[in-house]
This record gives sequence, structure tokens and C-alpha cells, in this order.
Amino acid sequence: MTAPFPTPKTDESQRLLSPEELEAALRDIGARRYHNLHPFHRLLHDGKLNKDQVRAWALNRYYYQAMIPVKDAAVLARMTDASLRRVWRQRIVDHDGDAPGDGGIERWLKLAEGVGFRRDYVESTQGILSATRFSVDAYVHFVKERSLLEAIASSLTEMFSPTIISERVAGMLKNYDFITKDTLAYFDKRLTQAPRDADFAIAYVKQHATTPELQRQAMDALTFKCNVLWTQLDALYFSYVAPGMTPPDAWIPGTGLVAEVAQAVGTGTIRSGDVPRLPRGVRLRHDEVRGQHVLLAPERTFDLDANAVAVLSLVDGQRSVRDIAGKLAETFAADRDVIEVDVLAMLNDLATKRVLER
Amino acid sequence: MNAITPNTPSLPAPVGLLAELTHRCPLRCPYCSNPLELDRRSGELDTATWQRVLTEAAGLGVLHVHLSGGEPTARNDIVEITRTCAELGLYSNLITSGVGGALAKLDALYDAGLDHVQLSVQGVDAANAEKIGGLKNAQPQKFAFAERVTQLGLPLTLNSVIHRGNIHEVEGFIDLAVKLGAKRLEVAHTQYYGWAYVNRAALMPDKAQVDQSIRIVEAARERLKGQLVIDLVVPDYYAKYPKACAGGWGRKLMNVTPAGKVLPCHAAETIKQLEFWYVSDHSLADIWANSPAFTAYRGTDWMQEPCRSCDRREKDWGGCRCQALALAGDAAATDPACSLSPLHSKVRELAKEEAAETPPDYVYRTIGSNVDRAAPPPLKEDAPL
Repeated sequence: MTAPFPTPKTDESQRLLSPEELEAALRDIGARRYHNLHPFHRLLHDGKLNKDQVRAWALNRYYYQAMIPVKDAAVLARMTDASLRRVWRQRIVDHDGDAPGDGGIERWLKLAEGVGFRRDYVESTQGILSATRFSVDAYVHFVKERSLLEAIASSLTEMFSPTIISERVAGMLKNYDFITKDTLAYFDKRLTQAPRDADFAIAYVKQHATTPELQRQAMDALTFKCNVLWTQLDALYFSYVAPGMTPPDAWIPGTGLVAEVAQAVGTGTIRSGDVPRLPRGVRLRHDEVRGQHVLLAPERTFDLDANAVAVLSLVDGQRSVRDIAGKLAETFAADRDVIEVDVLAMLNDLATKRVLER
Repeated sequence: MNAITPNTPSLPAPVGLLAELTHRCPLRCPYCSNPLELDRRSGELDTATWQRVLTEAAGLGVLHVHLSGGEPTARNDIVEITRTCAELGLYSNLITSGVGGALAKLDALYDAGLDHVQLSVQGVDAANAEKIGGLKNAQPQKFAFAERVTQLGLPLTLNSVIHRGNIHEVEGFIDLAVKLGAKRLEVAHTQYYGWAYVNRAALMPDKAQVDQSIRIVEAARERLKGQLVIDLVVPDYYAKYPKACAGGWGRKLMNVTPAGKVLPCHAAETIKQLEFWYVSDHSLADIWANSPAFTAYRGTDWMQEPCRSCDRREKDWGGCRCQALALAGDAAATDPACSLSPLHSKVRELAKEEAAETPPDYVYRTIGSNVDRAAPPPLKEDAPL
């Protein structure tokens, strides 16, 4: 059988490595080829991507997430040992959850929604890059066609993922005001799941790669998988960073998104604990001539209904959104959480129009 | 006469007052919206008269006062006038070039209660900007002014008037607005009245450039959502429907010239047969309700076809009267910017032809000298261009 990425057959490569040497060689592959080294990921972590580029990443990466259980089911189908299957099936549970609304795919959808996408648009995968689809499908085919050892070895990128996840979460929270801790909930779980999965897989590979040929296959499988991840970022970079050549039918910024207000609630700048205020140049005023309250702002006037006046009268640069909702809940004998959603929607709408700050 | 309430029951109260405090300006932009015959300093209203006008405006229902010109900071009493606005609860908007004495007066304007600053920028590249504005060393003055505005915590809007001399810089204007800390940017394609009408051939961009500028703005709006609000004014000659000029004739806006003449819009004086009243002779309320210039094209009774029976007649109010006069030779005609006007295709062709020609030199705005280029004549339905 031909290795997918031929390596020169030196004497060294034909020597049987000790299990520890094999693990070191596998880790070395990650150190050189894992996608945390990709320029697109550096831009993502360092806050250098704009909102649409982050969206493109979330949208495309969804297809990878969605196909992981398909891949793992294919691996599972090849396992004749019940004890192996019991361990491996946990991966499918982690991704699919035990019930609707649970699991890793669901959390990725939350992330995609958090950056403004409509759920149905993301699930349709109609806007993903062909390169994403080809890479992910190649991964699924690989685990079906190659040996079980190679299939398991190809999952070993999980050894490197805790580092990238910590970097990613910290970097994204710091650099993008439209990303919240809730949006990134997917990664919280993966921080514990990935090492557990990786521990099992590396132990399996160390135990079963008992000849130089099998060890070479395991290393090639991991290299292949690194390339699956790398290629997806190449395509994102090419289409959405530089030279910006988006293929026909791929997602175009501005499409597939939820309506503006809903988006402002999910990703806007004003959150429950924030203290909103009217900046200089924005004034709430009673207009005696017309008998109504208005919000005066640069080059525009907002006519306010009674609800808007009730909210804005409580915006004093002291109260948080939560406090304002609480105060209104008292006044109107209504549920604070329900009111808070409306208050956030209204305040974020005004923030988007640059007439409210925090 | 009832001094406060207009005597027409259905008449809405005006929301905005454009106070053209002076026609003096250090810049000489070839698209200036001021009339070709500019008022001289000796004819300008005094401080007390402006304060009376502002008081009357507040009583009438005006909410926003746009302190404009010319360059409003060229007036020695600009701080006093701004303070009067604040005392009356009027929202004050300083529309300035940011050059000359503007920076020196800014802190005092802030202390007087100024609400908002709209700063004009003629171009992104300094040499280009200074060629358009006709003033050397204007660009660094503008940047220094903008910096002080945001330091003070005043909201800043950048206003860029777009034409063929700077339409390639639209992306740059957006970056500049972000860099200067503006909350708003106006990407306003030139409206062809006044000086811009005379200079039309030098200013008219082509359709592809206009479309490209619109795409750039739309992409930036999405990218900069919550950071920068971008208002886009598309050029009439390439539009499908006209704009509701000043929100409809005599419906929202009053414009007081430096000499105290009250207009329904800043270009209205081009309609020679209209009779304008002065603040020295009438109260603002009286002018709003009864001045022949305001009643001439208010509402829909004056309309001809196709406006008269059009579904959009209370949306765009027939478009711009001044443009109707300039292009159709009749101020009561449908604005030829409207695709329903019989002259519309000619307007399109004319824009296309002018944009394709080598642009003539600018005729710069000046006070008290003859304009050495004739304004383009009206279009005729049957005559070839």
C-alpha cells in the first residue's frame, strides 16, 4: 500500500521506535503541521479578522463538526471488540448529545448563531467552500478505507487541541466584542473531552503500531489529518482574506444572517451587566409642541413610545441593564427576565445607531 | 396674528432650522450649496436678531438647529448663538469646515453646550482635498480640529461630498472616519444646485463609479456595524425616484439666510418668481404658515401629472422643485430625477455624456465676482441633447 505522503525511506525511518519515541515523533508532527500555525488562525486569535471573516470560519467549520460523528460511526463500524466500541461511542455522544439541544454540534450552531447566522442556513451547508467539503469528506473516506490503526491515529490531532483552544478562547474574547463566553461554550467542553479521547487513542497507537511499517502508517495518518485541517484554512484565507477570491455559490458577507435586532441582542455591545448611558450629543427631551418625548441625536430625532420613554428615563449612567429591567418589572408587575430581553433589544438597537454607549 | 401656532390646522410644525449664519468661508468648494450671489458681511443679521429667531423657532416646534454657512465659526458671536440654542433646549449642530478660526473657538462652543459637530472633508489625499476645497494647508487643520472634537467627547460626523474628483476615495473616507473617531459618516453624492450646477460637468461621476461607491458603503456598513453609522445620499441623476427635498416643501425645514430671508430649502432662491419673507418683517410662525414661498409647493395641490395621481406623491412630494426648474424649466414639473418623469432618460444620458468627457476646470465659489461659466440650460423633451 502506498503512503499518502511518501517520505524518503532512510534507514532511520525503517527502525522500530520504542512506544515513547513513537509518541515523540507523532507530537513532532503536530508541532510542525497543526493548524494553530496557520496564518488564518494567527489572524483569528490576534483579533485581526473582521466580523465577516470570523463568520466565514464559523460557517465552514460547522461542516467539519457536523461530519465528526459520521466519521466516528465509520470507525466504530470497523471495531470488532466491544470494549473498544464502548470507549469510542462516547465521541458520538459528545458530539450528538443525548437529546435535542445538547452536544458539540449544537454548541457549534450556538457559536454560528452568536456571530449572527441563521441556524437553518448553517445547517444547510450550502454556503461552505468546496475545499471545506472536499477536505472533510476525504477524512471520512480515509477512516473507512484505511486500517483501524490509521483511522485511530488520524484522530491524534486531539493531542494538540487543548493548546489551540485556550489560545483561541482567550484571544477571541479579548479581541472581538461580538464574541461572548456563551458563544464559545463549545470549546469549554472540548477542553476536557479532547485530552481524554487523545489519551485513549495514543495508548492504542503505541500498543498496536508494532512494526516500522505500522508506525510509519500511524505517522502518515496523523500528517494526513493535519493536512485536512490546514487545507480548510488555506481555502478560508484564499476566499475571505487574500486575494479574496470567493468561489461561485460560497457564502457572501451579509447573507444567511438573522434579522438585525436579534443579532444585536446576541452579539451587540450592551449586555445584561453593562451600565448604559446617553453620550454627549444625545438628549431625551419632552417636545411640548407635539406633546411627546423625543430622543435628540446627531442629525436625527427618534420619536419614542411610552415603553421607550420608560426605559430611557432609567438610563442614567448608574444603573445596569439588569437594574433597569428590575425597576421596570416592579413598576409593571412583570417578569424581569422577559423585560430584560426587550430592554436589551432596544438598547442594542440604539447602540448600533451610535446613540447609546456603555 | 397668532404668533405661535400656525393658522392651518393640519400644518405640521417644522423640526429643523438651517441657520446660515454667514456666507463667508475660507474654502471655495465648487459644489457649494450656497447661491451664486452670496450675501456680504455688511448685510448679515446681528446677534440679537438671531437670538430672537431661535426663540421663535423653539416656540414653533423646531428641535434641531443646524449652525451653518459658509463657515459659521467666522461669526464672532457663534459661541453666544450656540449658548442661546442650549438655553432654549434646541439641539445645536455645528456644520463646519474646521479651518480658520474654528479650532480656537471649539472649547468655548463645547462649554456653551454645543451638541454635535459635522466636519466637512473634501478628500482623503491632502493634495486632492486641498485642490477641491481651494485652500492650501486645510487638511492638517481639519485633522487637528477633529482630534479636539473627540477629545472633548463631542459626537463627530464627517461629511464627504462625493463627485468624480474624489469618488475613488470612498473607501479612504470610511477609514478616515474610523481613524478620526467619528460616529457618523455622510457619503453624500453631490446634489446639482447652486455652484454644483454650474460645475456639473466637472463633478459628474459615471454610473460604474457610483455603483462601486454604493457597494463599498454597503460592505462597510456591515463590517463597522455599531462602530460607524454611514449615511449614503445617492446622486439624483442615477436614482430611480427623487428625494423628498428637505423632507417635503414646507413640511420639516426652514432655512434662514445670512441676511434673514427665510427659504423652504437652501436652493429655493433659484426659483425667481417666489416671494420670500424676511425675519425682520415677519415672525417665523407667520412665515412658516403664510409666506408665499412656503405655501407655493406645500402639500400636493400644486402638482401636475405624473405626480398628481402617483402613489408616491406623499413619499417624495414630487422631488426637488429647484431641480425641476433647472432641468425641466418649470418648478412645478415632476423632478426629472424621477424615473416617471418624461425627461428622466435625458437626465441619464446627460450624466453619462458629461461623465465621459474630460472634466473642465472647477469654477470656485467666490463672493462678489461674476461666475464665468453659464449654468447648463434646461432639458427639452423633444430636442436632442
